[in-house]
Amino acid sequence: MSVTSPAIRLADVAKRYGRREILAGISLEVAPGSRLGLIGPAASGKSVILKLVAGLEQADRGRVDVLGTELVGKREVELGRVRRRIGMLFQNYALFDFLTVERNVAFPLEQRGGMSAGDIATRVAERLRAVGLAGSEHKLTGELSGGMKKRVGIARATVADAELVLYDEPTAGLDPVTTQKIYDLLAADQARTKATVIAVSSDVVALASFVDEIAFLYQGKLIYRGPAATIADAPDPMVRQFVRGELEGPLEDVRTEAS
Amino acid sequence: MIGERLIVAVGAGASRIAQEVGGILILTGQVLRALVPPRIDRRELVKNLYKMGNRSVPIVALTAFFAGALMILQAGPFVKKFGATSLAGYASGYAVLREIGPILIALMFSGRVGANNTAELATMTVTEQLDGLRALAIDPVAFLVVPRVIAMMVMLVVLTALGDLVALLGAAVVARTMLEVDFSTMYYSIVDNLRPFDFLLGVYKSVAFGAAIAMSSCYFGVAVRGGAVGVGKAVNAAVVASAVSIMLLDFLLTYLVGG
Amino acid sequence: MIARIGGGVLGAGRAARELWIVYVSTLAGVLRRGGARGELVRQLHAIGNKSLLFIVVTLGFIGMVMAYEACNQLGRITGDYSQVGGQFIRLIVSDFGPTLTAMMLATRVGAGIAAEIGSMKVTEQIDALRMSGVLPIDYLIVPRFLASMIMTLVLSVIGGLVMFGAGGLTAEHSFGVNPNVFYDFGQVRPRHLILMCIKGLAYGAAIPVVAGFCGLRARGSSEGVGWATTAAVIGGSFAVIVLDFVISAAALFLTGGDL
Repeated sequence: MSVTSPAIRLADVAKRYGRREILAGISLEVAPGSRLGLIGPAASGKSVILKLVAGLEQADRGRVDVLGTELVGKREVELGRVRRRIGMLFQNYALFDFLTVERNVAFPLEQRGGMSAGDIATRVAERLRAVGLAGSEHKLTGELSGGMKKRVGIARATVADAELVLYDEPTAGLDPVTTQKIYDLLAADQARTKATVIAVSSDVVALASFVDEIAFLYQGKLIYRGPAATIADAPDPMVRQFVRGELEGPLEDVRTEAS
Repeated sequence: MIGERLIVAVGAGASRIAQEVGGILILTGQVLRALVPPRIDRRELVKNLYKMGNRSVPIVALTAFFAGALMILQAGPFVKKFGATSLAGYASGYAVLREIGPILIALMFSGRVGANNTAELATMTVTEQLDGLRALAIDPVAFLVVPRVIAMMVMLVVLTALGDLVALLGAAVVARTMLEVDFSTMYYSIVDNLRPFDFLLGVYKSVAFGAAIAMSSCYFGVAVRGGAVGVGKAVNAAVVASAVSIMLLDFLLTYLVGG
Repeated sequence: MIARIGGGVLGAGRAARELWIVYVSTLAGVLRRGGARGELVRQLHAIGNKSLLFIVVTLGFIGMVMAYEACNQLGRITGDYSQVGGQFIRLIVSDFGPTLTAMMLATRVGAGIAAEIGSMKVTEQIDALRMSGVLPIDYLIVPRFLASMIMTLVLSVIGGLVMFGAGGLTAEHSFGVNPNVFYDFGQVRPRHLILMCIKGLAYGAAIPVVAGFCGLRARGSSEGVGWATTAAVIGGSFAVIVLDFVISAAALFLTGGDL
């Protein structure tokens, strides 16, 4: 349907952990330069989809094509080459606790190679200023609050101007004002780099202000995908119930959050 | 300059060791107090006996077998050179029963059960379960620590006794297959030359080792600080402390008990 | 019951295969990097300095005990102590020095490596490394691999000398053995030194691979780190014992029992 090939294509992807099937046949295409939001109840597989796209996990079935490369069956070294074009924010930040804030943000650039130390330092300083952490360069992660750690994570994910950026819960646990500031920042970044973005979030309202489309995941299947602006009035009753936070409706009681 | 830093380092290290030894002694006092009169949770005791015994039998058996085999490999050629094959059993058996058996079994036990125990208690502490117990007016020392201490001491004695026999068996097997000393020669060599006291010395040692392993394992478990990283450090500290105590106690007991 | 044993064997087989893959990947990584100089020095310092006191203390005690037992044992049979020192150092060089040192290091160093890598794994820092195109084995295990091999050998020599020295003191103090008679290096032949080097390097190679492997497999949160540390200590110790047996047996076979 699109003229240019999609940045991401998942074709009938399935993934199970032990005896639990987390994804039961997901097919998804994301056009380059677009922003997609993923919502759904806990343990519906949202984070798993991000990990599959990043090549951190291998699908049990189906195809995963990211930025023109098929990921299934590839070895770590080949996956590493694709990952250099991807930036990722982890749900629990995953900052390196043996490095300072500055070294954390500089890490992807250093590993990539091709930039002088001076250029890297400039870039890192600019990123830290953008997330509001100028002056915290030499702190260790143990000295940071949760919100600060999240912002360092965002700086690290966006420092290399990646073609594809994955955000896993960018605003979880943050107050509403900071949440809006974060999304403004992500929007400004994406407008500048024209990267493809996938964001997972449980704060649907704030997410809807940032992404173009929202997809709803339920029990391992993609139930609905539509424009973010009208998500609260989506044609699917399950989506409406979830977004509006209503207790009555077609959604069953789901399992508790997997670790 | 270096001298000054060395002194500071030694001083800091010594004070830390003193702190830890003090902490272990305090915990020991608490355990002893909880034993008079005995307020032991029977279910916890049985559960721990079963868990610790069950878990360690395979690794202790394997280790003991190899330990015996190793001893005969060391003693065998030497004895053969002097044509004293009838002493092969005695030479290896002496080392096994009095030293190698108790020490190696204790080290393996410390690794398998002690480290696990520290990890469990540390996780409980980090997740505030101990505070939860105190809020229910249950003394964590009496409820959690004492059954584990008793279970570990009892189990180590049993495992050492059985392990000694497996080690002798291992020595006999290797003697037969690699040194062409038959079973009957080994058997008489052991029975004629080794005294019950040699076996008992090993058992006495295992009582002391068990106490050392149990107390240091429990102490570092409940004294843990920090999250997942703290648990790792606690286990590390526990196994190191156990190893040093085992060596120290072995020296004291061998020297003082003599024979 | 059979199913459980069968399952256990299969699981062990799979784990062994993965461990082998880690070992081969480590070797490949070492060949690829050639050992960055600064990093190697830092790791040598980390492993060596911190363990020196520990090794000296523990091996000192063991040395005293073993000398005591050896004299005691001889006393019961021949009463001739002229050979004790010579045989003692022979055994220290060809076996006890490297093996006991390595068992202590498996505890101290192995637990440390597993705890570090394990806590990185459960906080998703390993995934974050992969996102920057870094191979965890290259970044985390390889630097420690060479350092561990060198340090284990060096500490074996130091530990062995401490054992010998302390043993002599005990022999003199408890059995009146003349130090001039005891400290006799005449029995040590080149083949013993070769054995010492082979064992020291083999143990030094095994410990970080086993520990890194356990760390990378950590799952969950604190319990996962605790489990990884436990497994590293046992796995490392057991690997040392098995390697000792294999190398000693091979040496015995190759030299026709003349050791």
